[in-house]
Amino acid sequence: MVLRMPSLSRRAFGAFGAAAGSALLLPRSLRAQEEPVRGGTLRFLVDPEPTGLVPLSDTTGANVMLSCKITEGLYGYNLDFSLRPQLALSHTLSPDGKELTFKLREGVKWHDGQPFTSADVAFSLMTLKTSHPRGRATYANLEEVQTSDAHTVVLKMKAPAPYLLNALAGQESPIVPKHIYDGSDIATNPHNHAPIGTGPFKFKEWQRGSHMIFERNEEYWDAGKPYLDRIIVRFIPDAAARSIAFETGEVDVGGDYPIPYSDLERLSQVPTLGIETRGYGYGPNISAIEFNLDNPYFAKPEVRQAVAHAVNKEILLQNVYYGFGEVATGPIHQAHTQFYTPDVHQYEFDPERANQLLDQAGLPRNGDGVRFAVSHDPLPIGNQHIQSGEYIRQALAQVGIQVTLRNQDMATYIKRVYADRDFDFVNNTMTNSPDPTLGVQRFYWSKNFKPGVPFSNGSHYSNPEVDRLLEAAQIEQDPAKRVQLFHDFQKIVAVDIPTLNTIAIQTFTIHSVNLKNHTLTADGIHANLAEAYLVS
Amino acid sequence: MSLRLLPVFVRALVRSLPTVAIIVVFNFFLLNMAPGDAADVLAAESGAATAETMAATRARLGLDLPLLDQFLNYVSGLLRLDLGFSAKFGVPVLEVILDRLPNTLLLMVTALVFALLVGILAGFLMALRAGSLLDRAISVVALFFYSIPSFWGALMLIVIFSVQLGWLPSSGYQTIGFEGSGLELALDMARYLVLPALSLSLFFIAIYARLTRASMLEVYGQDYVRTAVAKGLPPGRIALRHVLRNALVPVTTVAGIHFGILLGGAIVTETVFAWPGLGSLAFQAVFARDFAVLLGILLLSSVLVIAINIATDLLHAWLDPRVEVS
Amino acid sequence: MGTDGRALRRFLRNPSAWLGLLVMAAVLLMAATAGLFYPGDPQGMVAKPYLWPGQDPAFPLGTDNLGRDVTAGVFHGARVSLWIGVVSAAICLTIGTLVGAIGGYFGGWTDDLLTRLTEAVQTMPSFLFLIVLVAIFQPTLATITLGIGLVSWPTVARLVRAEFRRLRGQDFVLAARSLGFPHWRIIFQEILPNALPPLIVTTSVIVASAILTESALAFLGLGDPNVLSWGMMIGNGRAVIRTAWYLSAVPGALIVLTVLAVNLLGEALNDAANPRLGN
Repeated sequence: MVLRMPSLSRRAFGAFGAAAGSALLLPRSLRAQEEPVRGGTLRFLVDPEPTGLVPLSDTTGANVMLSCKITEGLYGYNLDFSLRPQLALSHTLSPDGKELTFKLREGVKWHDGQPFTSADVAFSLMTLKTSHPRGRATYANLEEVQTSDAHTVVLKMKAPAPYLLNALAGQESPIVPKHIYDGSDIATNPHNHAPIGTGPFKFKEWQRGSHMIFERNEEYWDAGKPYLDRIIVRFIPDAAARSIAFETGEVDVGGDYPIPYSDLERLSQVPTLGIETRGYGYGPNISAIEFNLDNPYFAKPEVRQAVAHAVNKEILLQNVYYGFGEVATGPIHQAHTQFYTPDVHQYEFDPERANQLLDQAGLPRNGDGVRFAVSHDPLPIGNQHIQSGEYIRQALAQVGIQVTLRNQDMATYIKRVYADRDFDFVNNTMTNSPDPTLGVQRFYWSKNFKPGVPFSNGSHYSNPEVDRLLEAAQIEQDPAKRVQLFHDFQKIVAVDIPTLNTIAIQTFTIHSVNLKNHTLTADGIHANLAEAYLVS
Repeated sequence: MSLRLLPVFVRALVRSLPTVAIIVVFNFFLLNMAPGDAADVLAAESGAATAETMAATRARLGLDLPLLDQFLNYVSGLLRLDLGFSAKFGVPVLEVILDRLPNTLLLMVTALVFALLVGILAGFLMALRAGSLLDRAISVVALFFYSIPSFWGALMLIVIFSVQLGWLPSSGYQTIGFEGSGLELALDMARYLVLPALSLSLFFIAIYARLTRASMLEVYGQDYVRTAVAKGLPPGRIALRHVLRNALVPVTTVAGIHFGILLGGAIVTETVFAWPGLGSLAFQAVFARDFAVLLGILLLSSVLVIAINIATDLLHAWLDPRVEVS
Repeated sequence: MGTDGRALRRFLRNPSAWLGLLVMAAVLLMAATAGLFYPGDPQGMVAKPYLWPGQDPAFPLGTDNLGRDVTAGVFHGARVSLWIGVVSAAICLTIGTLVGAIGGYFGGWTDDLLTRLTEAVQTMPSFLFLIVLVAIFQPTLATITLGIGLVSWPTVARLVRAEFRRLRGQDFVLAARSLGFPHWRIIFQEILPNALPPLIVTTSVIVASAILTESALAFLGLGDPNVLSWGMMIGNGRAVIRTAWYLSAVPGALIVLTVLAVNLLGEALNDAANPRLGN
């Protein structure tokens, strides 16, 4: 689903700029290099308020966005997805792909003064394997972590895990202090709310409902950094109030579309603000219509194809997402350049064809022009899903499908769709994650049809050939062959459409023009901000 | 006076116990009728989950127990003055509530005091000139503000005073990390308080104005006031000393009720102004299925309403000695 | 009673009453003619998105982000908003009157029990209680209307109870009792009509606040997306409140006018019924 999950492989965002057709996408931060300035307080907006600050067992969006300032990972990822040493300096992989050795940085200290060692890394990775919502999948093949010396760890795996190197950013695989967490209940450890890390900023305070303060770590391993003295994190629940806070300069930066798409055009005219679309390659989002294949209507391929022909994705893109993104062609986001292929079947917008298909499916119109009636559940986040739902209702009315929208809160939605399976079709946003094996497979793999588990295979799609391709890609070591497996997968899913992917969304960061170096990595402002600085 | 009031106090406390019990039982079971639980929400916000992590979360929060056991756990906690543990914030409920309570009280008291001052003044003027053009004009203006949807009024105040004029901050309750203290700090907080308090009070001004007007006119009709008029006392003195003072009884009663209800009810204002109070906390708790927090707030606010009822009784005894303590 | 004629004359002499009547008549007319002027689905996408008011004469109040006609929306929205106001007030009055009348008439432990119940509901913050109800049972037109009625009855119950306690000892009630009338007849045919004047005034406040409450729910995302009320229109328009402000301003202004009119009527009725409080 939705929020903020990471993904690797990102092409330049130029195509998005062209798609959006607007000058507001030009990053103002791409100016001549200036000398960084020390000092200053950065006011960082997040919404909603996070539930914790260490994404070990709890990976809610704001938690993931903030944690890296304090807690780091083994690697960062540059904008071109090349590795960027953080707590790990380098790695070697054995020829059979089952032994991964990391050399760790020396002389690093935790914020409480304890030295950082290989024992911390071994403990963290094994904890992620048992406690992290995605860690179970990421580290499924990890059997043991050996610590041959204080600054070397060896990961022993029962099978190759080619996606693992893509999941080592601090936000996805945080490295936490063993001496704080060992022997405690990970989920309830009080330091989840007052973290001790190795990062450029130290946790200072959290006033619930209002703000957090992070202070500069004077003993950060990267001497001279960070440049900022302090980060103040603010929570503003109302969307209009968030826009205004940017406009009046009460906050300096916010990410993951902190304001409605509809307000972007206006804020882009504010001379003190910049809009940055880079830094989301680590977790691009796809908006999609997901059918319940157990529903007698949507079980019929003709009906799903009719819906695909009746819905004009371009209208959704322009009127709901205000041009921020591209029309999606399949299950993998365009931003995943190394895996994405446009060479798949498309059901073009053609209501007449939709009517023919529905007639063929034996679903004639009754006296009121209605063929059948279904309910539609928009994901209750932001207003884009309900707006999409309103468009879908009107578009399907044209071809004789009567749609009733159901408004509900998140808990109700999750229970209805994933536990009770009491739904016909939904529209939601799915996050692609660092790698298709981690982020895309879960929606299409028949073995991940797990009622009760959110963001599993909700459509109940089951295709043996798709299962075979996905399972092969899990362990394929040859990158080219792995890409081919994913291309074949996309071709099948684009024809079957258990899920009609509609928009490859372009997420954005809003920032004060005075803030520099905020987006240097593939995860943008999710990263540690050690190099960010403020000019006056 | 305090001796005279002591039995009232005790009786009111005893009387309120069943009310509190009804609220606890009713709300606990009502809230648990909601589809989905905190584990669903946490998983949804995380964007991923496995059957194992879901089960672990439920076990940690005690959501895997039968409902009746959960209820008994909750009640036995309450008897030990333990309001439980917040699923969303991972800390004790009492801590979450106490963090926000001062902010909510500040906002409520300011808004209600302001609304009372303006409302009573307006009502006073209307009563003195009852039936005149002034009376009608004030009435329509007050009703106009009363009729504005609160969120709309709040957003417009922000657009005018924060965006266009740049005089006041649009959100928050103080400058975060503000170094000053004493008067400086008070002034800083006052700047943040103006807009939310004003926005909240607009609704109440009309109510107090109408109430003041109506009860003043009623008092004017009473014998002792007629006597005072007949004796030739100056009209201004009659209006202030005799009429207004007694007319304040119903106004303060209503204000007392409002105060208690506002505790969890300023949801819209707190949301728009990002005011870290109990209203926005309660609102978020509904969606997070963080029922321990929600129950805590409902309980607190009912206790507060009861306390305020007692306090208004005392106030009335002071305002109008003829009020009997029954 | 002969005072009725005088009360009516007082009511009609009051300019506020006329203002209120005029606006109400206009709103009722909108609701009544919605189907006539704008047959078909008011949520249909009929034109280019974001047409400003006046930009295209066919859509005098413009269109929203999906190209839906705002004019059609406000006409049909009048129906829904009035429906919510009237029906939830009816629910509230029914519950409140029953609880208040039974408690006030019978007294004793019945009264004690009902008073305790009323107090318990009243100590809960009503808007929060409403949000809980609507979130649990999902926001649909029915749950929203029912919810508003369910959280606002205590005011009515207290008022009716007070009136019944005042009236139950009066001669006409004692006479009815001595004639052996059944309780329900004394309650509904003898006492209730005499308790009506203050109840009518309170009703106007309840209708008005129900319309406001629905709009606040829609603002918080708890509206029914299948029906177009003014509150829903504001809820939809709030995302563009700074750019296409007419989308929330038009239904917002209609809410203000309608609520103002209902309140003016209530105030005029109050003044007419209690002459010594007026001129």
